[in-house]
This record gives sequence, C-alpha cells and structure tokens, in this order.
Amino acid sequence: MKQTINIRQCGIILIMCIFANKLLLMPSLLYTNVKADGIFVTAILFLIELAIIPLIFLLKKHFPKQSLYEILKSRTGVIFTKLIYMLLLIFFLFKIILVFSITYVYFKQQIYKDEIIWIALISILPVINHSVANGIRPLARTMEIFFALVLIGFLACLGFSLFTNIELPHMFLSDIQSFFGAMYKHLFSFGDMIFLFLILDKIEIKEGEEKKVYHYAILGFILIIMLYFLYYGKYQVTSFMHNNALADILVFSVQFNAIGRLDIIAMITILFITIFQLEIFSYGFSDCFLHIFPKLNNIYSIIVFDITFLILYYFFLGKYEIMINLTSTWLTVLAVIINVIFPLILFVIYLVKRSKNEETD
Amino acid sequence: MKKLIKKYLKNPMLLIFIIILIFFTPMAIYSPGENKIKGVVTAIGIDKIDEEYEVSLLTFIPTANQTYKQQNAVVSGKGKSVTEAIYNAQLSMGRSVGLAHAKTTVVNEQLLNEDVAQIVDHISRISSLPENTVFICTNATAKELLESTTGLETELGLKLEQLIGFNSTNLYAIDTSLESFYKGYFGQTHSSIIGHLSLEEESKEDSKQNEGEDNSENNGESQATQNQKKLTNKGDAVILKRGELVAKLSSEQLNALNLLNSKSIKQIVNIEDVKLDSGIHDLSYRIRNKRVLKSTKFENGYPVFQAQVILGMELTEVKGMNENFKENTEISEMNKEIKEKLNLKLKKQFTDALKILIENKTDIINITEEFFKNDRKAFNKYIKNLNSIDEFISHVNFKVSIIINTD
Repeated sequence: MKQTINIRQCGIILIMCIFANKLLLMPSLLYTNVKADGIFVTAILFLIELAIIPLIFLLKKHFPKQSLYEILKSRTGVIFTKLIYMLLLIFFLFKIILVFSITYVYFKQQIYKDEIIWIALISILPVINHSVANGIRPLARTMEIFFALVLIGFLACLGFSLFTNIELPHMFLSDIQSFFGAMYKHLFSFGDMIFLFLILDKIEIKEGEEKKVYHYAILGFILIIMLYFLYYGKYQVTSFMHNNALADILVFSVQFNAIGRLDIIAMITILFITIFQLEIFSYGFSDCFLHIFPKLNNIYSIIVFDITFLILYYFFLGKYEIMINLTSTWLTVLAVIINVIFPLILFVIYLVKRSKNEETD
Repeated sequence: MKKLIKKYLKNPMLLIFIIILIFFTPMAIYSPGENKIKGVVTAIGIDKIDEEYEVSLLTFIPTANQTYKQQNAVVSGKGKSVTEAIYNAQLSMGRSVGLAHAKTTVVNEQLLNEDVAQIVDHISRISSLPENTVFICTNATAKELLESTTGLETELGLKLEQLIGFNSTNLYAIDTSLESFYKGYFGQTHSSIIGHLSLEEESKEDSKQNEGEDNSENNGESQATQNQKKLTNKGDAVILKRGELVAKLSSEQLNALNLLNSKSIKQIVNIEDVKLDSGIHDLSYRIRNKRVLKSTKFENGYPVFQAQVILGMELTEVKGMNENFKENTEISEMNKEIKEKLNLKLKKQFTDALKILIENKTDIINITEEFFKNDRKAFNKYIKNLNSIDEFISHVNFKVSIIINTD
C-alpha cells in the first residue's frame, strides 16, 4: 500500500496531536499553578508550537522526497541523527504512557471502578499494535472516518456545558514567575506536532493546500481554549478538584433536573481521541526504533514497544502521581530539547541549505 | 471453506477479537448480576460518636416486584475514618457500595463545630459526586434523618433530594450542592451556605389521634407515650465559615437575603394595618417577578454597593372584614401607603439579615467578589488597609432602592 497521506488527513492528525494531554487533567494542573491564567499559558505554548507548521512546509518544499532521517543524516551525520531519534523515541514512549495513564484513571473512575489494568491493556494494545503494523495511511484514514464523530462529541460536550452555571473566570491573578514557571513545567504536554516531522516524506501537499493545515490547527486551538474557558467558568475556585475537564463540564447539578450522566458523550469522545493519540505516538515510537535499528522490521518494533511500555507502566510509572510528577520535572528537559532545540536545528538546516542555494534534492 | 478460514486466520485483528471473546465471554456468563454485588446508595449520612465516625447509607436494593415500590433501607457502619465506616457499612450490607447515585449527603449539626470539609473529603474525591449530591445538615443524627426519609417516601412518595431540590429552587435560590459548598469554602471569604432539615419529636399518641379517634379509644389505655422523630422542612439553612457553623438562618432571613437575587421569586411579604377605603387590613403580597440592577464603586475610596430592585407584586390575601373585597378578589391597585410599607418591610428584613453576615464576617451573597470583579485595582488597594478580606463586607455601604409594581 502506498504510505502517503493527503493534506486533510495531515490536518486531522494535527488536531489529534493538539488534543493530546490537554482534555482531561491539564486544565486542573494549570489551575493549581496559575489559576484561570492557564488559558493564556496554553495559548502561548500553542502559538510557539504552531511555528512548527511553517517549518514543516519549508522543509517539505526544499526536501520534497526526503524523510526527516535522510535530511538529518545528510546534514549532521549518522551519530547525531540516531541520537535525535533516540530522544524522539523516549519522547513518544513517555507521551504514550502519559496519555494512557490519564485516560485509564478517568475510565477507572467512570466505569471500570474495581477492574484491573490488564483488561484495559488487552483492549487497547492490540488496536494500537495493529495500526502501527498497517502504517500511517490506514491510521490516517481511520481517523478521517471517525473525525466527524469526535468533533460532534467534542462540540456536544462544550454545548451541553452551557446549560450549567457558567461565569466569567477571574484572570490575571498569577505573577510572572509562576506564569512562566507553569509554561516550563507543562512543556512536555505540548509539542505533539513534532510527529509531523517524522512523516514529512509521507505528506502529499498540492499547490496552495498549505492553508488547510492552518485551518485545522486553528480549529483545534479554538476548541481547546473554549474547553478551558468553560471549565474555569464553571468550576472557578474548585477547578483544581476536577481532573477530567471534558467530562466534568458535562456534569449537571442536581438542581437542573438531575440529568447527571450525560458524560457518556464525553466518554465516547475521549475513548476515540485517546486511541488515535496512542496510535500516532506508537507509530512515532516504531518509526524512530526502525531508524535506530534499520535491520529490524515492524514486528520487532511492536514487540519492543509492548514490552517497554508494560514494564515501565506496570512496575514503575503506572503510579499516576509518579508519572505526572515526572512530566513536570525531568521530562520538561526532554521537552525543551524536542519542542524547542530540535525545531531550531531543523530551521538552521533549512537556512544553510537556502544560503548555499543547493539544488532541490 | 478452507480458503475462507485461511483468509480469516491471516487477519491478526480477527484473531485478537476471537481471543478476547474466548477470555471475556465466560467471565461475563459466570459473573453474578450487579444487583447481587452492589448496593445502590441514594443518600449518605455522617455522624460522629465517641471519636468514631458512623456512616449511614440509604440504600436502594433492586429487587423484582410488581408494585414498583422501592426497597429502601438504612445501613450503617462505624470507623475511625469515613472510608473505614463506609467499608464496615458494606460489610453489614453484604454488598459493595455504589456511591455514583448518591444524591444527598447529610451531616449531623455537631460535626459542623469542626471543619466539615475534612469529614466529607472522601465524598469529594468521588468523580462527579460533588456536583450531584446536595449537602445538608440536621439537628438530629444523620442516621435518624435517613431513617425518617423512608417513611417520607412511603407516605408521600417524596424523596429526600426532591425535598431539598424544592428548597433549592424556591427558597435558597442558590445551588446547595457539595460543589457549591466547596466553592464557598475555597472562595475569598471562605463562606458557604448549606440546607438544614429538622427532626422533631412527635409522640405516638399525637399521631394516633390524627389517624382517628376510634383507634385511639380502642388502644389509648395500653399505649405508652412513645417518641418518634418526624422530618420537618422549615426551610432553614446554616452559614459555614471555613467549614464551621457560625449562624443559622430562618427561611424569612433567607428570603430577605435573596432580595438581591433575581432568580429568587414567589416569596410572600406581609404588611399590617394598611388603611384602605373600607378600613384597616393586613395584606399579603407575593413577589411575582424581579429585576435587580447592581453596581459597585469606590466613592472617596470607600466601597459602595448600589442596587435597584424592581419587584412585580401581586396581592394574595386580605385580612379584615370587607364586603367589597369578598366580591372583588382581583384587587391589584396599590396605593402609596402600601408601597411604602412593603418597601420598609423588605428593607428592614434585608438589613437584619445583612447584620448576621456582617457580624459573622461571612459573605454568602458574594458582595466581595462583585467588587473584586468590577474594580480589581481599587479593591486590592482597599483590602491592604484591612486586617483580613473577611472584614470587607462590613465596610461596604449598601444603597438599595426598591421599586414596587403591580404588573
């Protein structure tokens, strides 16, 4: 099968990346640090992340057929490229663990209650393994099919929340130090668009189609900001107590006819979004693995992924608090490298190529 | 056929699906029904007896019957923490506790002598529960209150949460859920309001008399006076400061505070000795609609709260002899005296209720937040001169004007 995706599929992958780690726990954690100014932290981090998109187009324009690995290898050498890929591999592995642990806790609270982790693993691991084995095109097409459902679910959550008591959240309550501190602390939850670099050679862009990607990015951004705004508007000072933002904005008070359990809409939406995100990140893991060990095939990468994931999750990181704590301490260093330094390196590569006026590869 | 099997076996997802089916189908078949392992809790009551917590659970046990009658029972357990008490309660129930449908949380009034947030901590940690459960207190033990509600349900078909729900929409006019308690608790002035239900002792003799004299004649001699507690909803509420009870509000005081709440309507206002053409009468009016225009400002550096309350009122009762009134029940004309008396009464009620808030430094009507929202700079400047933000409400100059209409 031809492993390419069109611009719409690229946009949908982008939206799923934007949603990653921001729909459930993130608003609550941000509120603990900077109150409702979490909206601005998210907006600024998103705008920084958005700079990746033009960089992707610039690289695509100058290296239309080359993959990221080939670009890096030809400009920086094999060792440096493999080092970058190693860091990307770790980055995606921890992203998967983070997404999975947050969603697992959410579903444990909502439906499973007493059930144990292996039921969740049996349900999810085969699905993401299968999608990695099939490649990026079927993955993107599946997302394309379910995208409308995800979007409707998301909008329904936002729409129904308007029937609850919502007030204007109090903003500008944090000081500069805590504001930038929160930006640094939560950097790991951003930068998911980096994934697009990995599939650089697989994106088919026709003339003038670039703006479509921006449209998808802006749509994702608006949805996230609306979610944060409604969430902070609804819960105000108790925002830190509610860990599942998208689901919690749907919870109705007893005074409003006790509808109560409309959160099934949020559950279905979150389930689809999580599975797609896990598929994207595990594909990223597999791609990095295969470039580090080029002699191995997909099956090996999947087996290694499953084993590493299970070991890390079950014996060490499965403890929710440890994972959350890790993302705001050690993993932020990794996030700085991947989200800031890595795109800068790519930008320098682009500039060098332009100044040398090299022929298009 | 062989080809087909080979084709299907090549598809790994199908294989995984079959494996999942093999694993889960027997599990689903052999696992017992949910109603056999779970007790659905509709209300939680918390008491403290001798340094131990007693948690009472009003449970609904789903059983097949033809009467559509719910089988409710109160099960309780004791423990050093609320969680332990719930665990012990489920031991006596023989089922695990399902709290997702708990619509009411009741605590004993005595528990409000300490920070109640620490006591209901476990409940607040259960996802979606804080929003879904109404938080109330009672003068008796929470267990007694829950036990009395089973009678309420059999006699009137009324559930506890419906009773509180009625209060919420008609009396408090604010949300009295656990969530709103926490909003007040973590708010700037740490003040919250929760509902209060009373249990009053009623002798069995009295209740028998109500049932009919024949019965009492037959059994009267042999019957010793047995005390039985009955749930009475007076519409009271309590004010909590940092989770501790500081004042009790009667329904009248609540109505008075709700003068500034545009959602709160239907209250009755009585005025006495009104001189009409036909003589002197006592009149009752009902607030039919309300519009409240609020503004806050700092005048010469001092906080001023201005409100214009436009009330649409209707006459509901006239006391006193008057033939003309008997014939014309729809008298709605309001003279100057009536308007003045109503105005005075409403203002007096509001001032009296406000005094309670000022004395206890509790701002449950969110005046402090209004100032903070409207002019944050001036507010912060003013707060700097105070010992604590709690004192702010006592510094506010209230200018409330009431316009009364009959439409």
